[in-house]
This record gives sequence, C-alpha cells and structure tokens, in this order.
Amino acid sequence: MSRQSPFTARLFTNIGLILLIVAGLFPAIWLILTSFKLDGELVRLPITYWPDAATLSNYVQVFERNPFARFLLNSFVVSLGATLICVLFAALAGYALARLRIPGRRLILTGIVMTSMFPALVLLVPLYRLFVGAEIPGLGISTPNLLNTYWALIIPYVALSLPIATLILTSFFQLIPEDLESAAMVDGSSRTGALFRIVAPLSAPGMVTAGIIVFVNSWNEFLLALTFNTSLMMRTVPVGITFYQGEYAFPWAIISAAVTVGIVPLVALILFFQQRIISGLTAGGVKG
Amino acid sequence: MTFRAAYAAHFYFMAAIKTEKITYRKPGFWQRLRTGNLNDTQLGLLLLAPALITLFVVMLYPVLNVFWQSLRGEHLLRPWLGSPFVGLEHFQKILWGRNMVWDLQNLLSWRILGIATLLPLWWFAARGVLKRWTALAWTLTILVVFGFLLGLHPGDSGRWGDARFWNSFNITLLIIVLSVAGSFLVGLPMALLANITSPLRWLVRLAMLLPWAMPRVFTGLTFAWLFQSDYGVLNDLLARAGVNNLLQGVLEPNLIGAQGILWLSRVVPAIIAVNITIIWKTSSFVGLILLAGLQSIDKSLYEAATVDGANAWQRFWSITLPMLRPAIAVALIFRTLTAIQTFDIPYAMTRGAPGRSLETLGLYIYNTIQASNIGYAAALSVVLFALSLGITILYLRWIYTE
Repeated sequence: MSRQSPFTARLFTNIGLILLIVAGLFPAIWLILTSFKLDGELVRLPITYWPDAATLSNYVQVFERNPFARFLLNSFVVSLGATLICVLFAALAGYALARLRIPGRRLILTGIVMTSMFPALVLLVPLYRLFVGAEIPGLGISTPNLLNTYWALIIPYVALSLPIATLILTSFFQLIPEDLESAAMVDGSSRTGALFRIVAPLSAPGMVTAGIIVFVNSWNEFLLALTFNTSLMMRTVPVGITFYQGEYAFPWAIISAAVTVGIVPLVALILFFQQRIISGLTAGGVKG
Repeated sequence: MTFRAAYAAHFYFMAAIKTEKITYRKPGFWQRLRTGNLNDTQLGLLLLAPALITLFVVMLYPVLNVFWQSLRGEHLLRPWLGSPFVGLEHFQKILWGRNMVWDLQNLLSWRILGIATLLPLWWFAARGVLKRWTALAWTLTILVVFGFLLGLHPGDSGRWGDARFWNSFNITLLIIVLSVAGSFLVGLPMALLANITSPLRWLVRLAMLLPWAMPRVFTGLTFAWLFQSDYGVLNDLLARAGVNNLLQGVLEPNLIGAQGILWLSRVVPAIIAVNITIIWKTSSFVGLILLAGLQSIDKSLYEAATVDGANAWQRFWSITLPMLRPAIAVALIFRTLTAIQTFDIPYAMTRGAPGRSLETLGLYIYNTIQASNIGYAAALSVVLFALSLGITILYLRWIYTE
C-alpha cells in the first residue's frame, strides 16, 4: 500500500504515527523526568523539562516514607496467586466448554461472560460482609475473617478475571485440532490422560496469554484493595501510592518515583509479550 | 460352606444373571474418574465446577445479597437499630422527590428537544427502516437522557429526594457520553495507524499497550501532575504555543490563573481534564479491538474496490466501516460498561472535587459506604446494576437486530 501511495498520504501517515507514539508515551516520559527532579526544581518557574541536577533521592524517599517494598511484595503475591488460580480454573472450564458435549454449553459460556458486566462496586458491600467472617446459621461454625489477608483480594480477583480468561482459553482450545486428542485416545490413553499429555502442553501459549491479562487486571485493581486491606502492611501498590499525598501537600517527585517503580513490572511484561497480549485481548474482545 | 453348597450357589448366580435377577453394580463415579471413563456431561461438570462455584459465591451471591440489603436500612453508626426492613424506601428517596412540579420552561425545552429527536426516529420506524422494538428502546433512552440532562433534573433546588444522586448520575452520564465517544474517535485512527507495517511498529505497539497496562490510579496521578495549573507541563506547553494569551480574553476570568487554566479546581476544566485522562487510558483498548477487526477484513475486497476506481476515502466508508461493525459494537459495550463504573481516575485526580462536581456514581457509592450507610449504598448499587444491565440489553438488541 505505502509503495504506491502519494507523498502527502505518506506524510500524513508518518505524522499520525509520531503523534500516536508521542501521545502514548509522553505521560510516562514526563513521569520519569519528574521522578529525577529535586523538590525545589518542581516548584520553580519557568518549569524545566530536563532535570537540572538528576537525583535518586526521590526513589530513596519512596522506600523510606512507606514500606513500599512490602507493597510491591503484596501486589506480587496477590496478582500471582490470582493468576495461577484463575488460569487453572479457566483452563478446566475452557476445555469443558470447547470439547465436551455438555447440554447447554453455549448458555453456560454466555452466562460466564455475562458476569463480567457485574460492576465490582456492587460486590463491595456483600463481599466485605462475607470476608468479615460470620457464624453460619445452624452449623455452629463461623467463616474466618479474611480482611487484611491476601485471600481477601485473591478470591475476588480470580472471580473478576474468570470470564475473560475462560473466553480466551475456550477459543484457544477450539483451535487445537481434535484429531490429536482422538489419536491419543485410540493409542490407549484415557480422556484424562489425553488431556494432561497432549492438550495441556499445546495450550501453554494460551494459558500464558490469559495469565498476563489476569495478572495486569489484578495488579491494577484499586477499589477492592482500598476497602478490604486497610492495614498498612497489607496494602497493594496502587493503594499504597495514593497515601503519599498528604492532606494538602502533593510531593509530586516522590509520587512520580513511586509510580515509575510500580509500572516497571508492567512495562517488562509488555516488552516481552507484546504480541501475546494483543492476541489475547482481541480474542476475548472479538468473540465476546 | 461346603464344596457342594458353593457349587450350587455358582449355578444359582449364573442363572440369576441370565434372568437379570441380579446385575453387577456399575463402577462408581470415583472409579470411573480414576479409569477415565466418565461421560462428557459428568467430566464437563467436574471441570466446570471450580469456575462456576467461584462465580456463584463471589459474583452471583453478592448481587442477590445487594438486592436484599437494599430493602433494609442498615446503618453502621446506628447499630442499635439493627437492619430493619424498610421496603422500597431507599429507592423512593433516590428516584423521587418531595415536590415534583416541573416548571414550565424546563418542561417546554424538554418536550421540544425530545420531539425533535423522536419524530425522525419514529418516521424511520414507520418507513420500516428501523424495527419497532429498536425504536421503542431508543425512545426510552432518549427520554431518560434528555429528561435528566435537560429538563427533568432541577439541580440543587431540592425537589429531588437525593440531589446528590442526580448530580452523580449526571456526571456519570456525561463521562459515559464524552469518554466513550472520545475513546472511539481516538481509537479508530489508532487502529488504522497500527495496521500499517512500518519500522516503528514496535514503538507504536508499546505506545498502545502502555496506557492499557497502566493502573487507572497511576494514570490519574500522572495526569493530575500534567494538568497541575501552576507547574504542570500542559499549561506550560499551552503558554509556549500562545494559546494562553488567546484564552485570556475568551474564557471567564475565574477559570484562568497566573500560569494558565485552573484545570483541576474549576468545574468545567476538571470535567474536561478527567475525560481526557479516561480517553488516554481507554482508547488504546478500543484501538486494539478495532485492529483485530481490521485484520480480519478480506484484502481482496480492497483490491476489487481499487480496480473499480474507488479512492481511499470511499474504500474506508464503504468497506472498512461496515466490516468493522461487530468489532465496534464489542468495543462500545466494553467501554460503556467500564465508564458506568468510573471510580479510580476521578478518585486519584481530585477525589470528586471541586465540590462534588466530579463525584461519579461509583464515588458516591464508595463515599456512602465510608459514611457507614450500608443499606443506602446497597440501594445505589442496585441502581448502578440496573443501569449497566439496561445498557447491555440495549446494545445486544442493537447487535442482534442489525
């Protein structure tokens, strides 16, 4: 296309591309530049673009003012836990929906996908109640208090990402040729055997795709983390970051440094798995 | 047991099996699971069980629970009252007011605008261009939108039982309309550009995936700093481009500070700033969905059109847009559903300030919970749920009828 197109068309395309790249990356670049500036430089006019005296003190401050390393650890544990459980559940469900002749399987898939439109806000009060722990009537035992534990976040994150993960993995299993599996079964392997020896290795890319999306979703979640885990040591990164701003003071340099540290894992994921993320997002989107 | 007795018993059993008096017990569920001999439905239910149980406990039960709680008046600051059954009282307070007499001017403007949009709709319906049901659904939507945005909503005059709810409803509607339209208008060219093979492709993809992966809270904080009125980079760029001097005479003086527009401390600029932030965060998702739609279009269509002498613009209008329709519908549904729940970005940027002008429905529910009014928050959640359900059904009707 671009070979035959006239000069003006190419010019517009290139301008558009540069505009897109600048608009997409500028906020992040500005964030990083801000994170290296000293406090005095931030409130000086005219504003400077390149830091005068680059400093790492903001990054030190990030870890000194709040237990930021602990926030990172919390986020990692919660997101990884949610990812592993969610992908496992979604893979089992996706296999069943893609391969087995279950009565009403389209209905089940539609039902699962429809739950993704439930606003997380609606879940806030009842889940809080559920996690506080209460005696189960009639049984004489009570559910544990899950608030301020990792489970209080892992459980809802699994549920919130299950619809998209199931959708991705169902469409992925449908792509694996069924003949492979029947061949294994003819060779004497049972259905479960075929599942674990043939299908599971082949579906690893699909699971990675779904896993990245679940991980990013869980890493980014804010509302439930803000409400359920209120003790300082159990906060996740997105919640922890909002506590750097005081009542009236906004230490922008420190906030910028904290945000920069917080997006490093996400940028690493993007750089490594670009194509996978795109295919996963669109598989979920186009099918749904 | 003697040998003879065993011998006799053997013959008895053989005879019994032949006459089907005794049948061997079928292998049980667990045995067949071990040997891999479950039938499809049993194995399927076994595999689906973890996902379905999770969804039932964490999604379905809470929604039903919220419906139940919305009928009860639990208030954590008044624990001695318990949670008394109050019926539809909360909903009456949310949806109705004390003195619902509309003033004539509002009524007239609402009617004129409503009729002006409804007439062509029903004209099309009568001509058979539109399905009756589609027309009816859109009529209801237009009535709601025009009703609340233009006429019915009397602002803070106090006629509504809960003016704060209508304020949050309006700002949520405004965010839905502006940010969904905006992210679509930005996302479409983005998809077209990302579809072109160029040496910068990986950078384009990074620029598209970064906003998607960035947590909404981080986005809000980052943009709050960009929009900062004194030391923010946006006002500096506007000043350098000379826009500031231009605006000085045009805008109301209280919107402009020493260094430029007071983005986050005045109502209208704050609404614009929050919407720009939401659009930056979400348009790349729309772009990615549309990109997948673009890549599934058959290339031969374009070649045929080029042979027939269609220019690029005509190809776009008569091939790309119609073929993109399913992808557009999906992107719009997802975007609208997330826009209804807008919470993180206004929370991170201004916490709903200035005043309560940016208190979205989500923020209002959160604040109500923080104020310990659990029953009322549940009722608000039911309204939010009904809103997203209604919009989903409307979209699905639109997809399936056309």
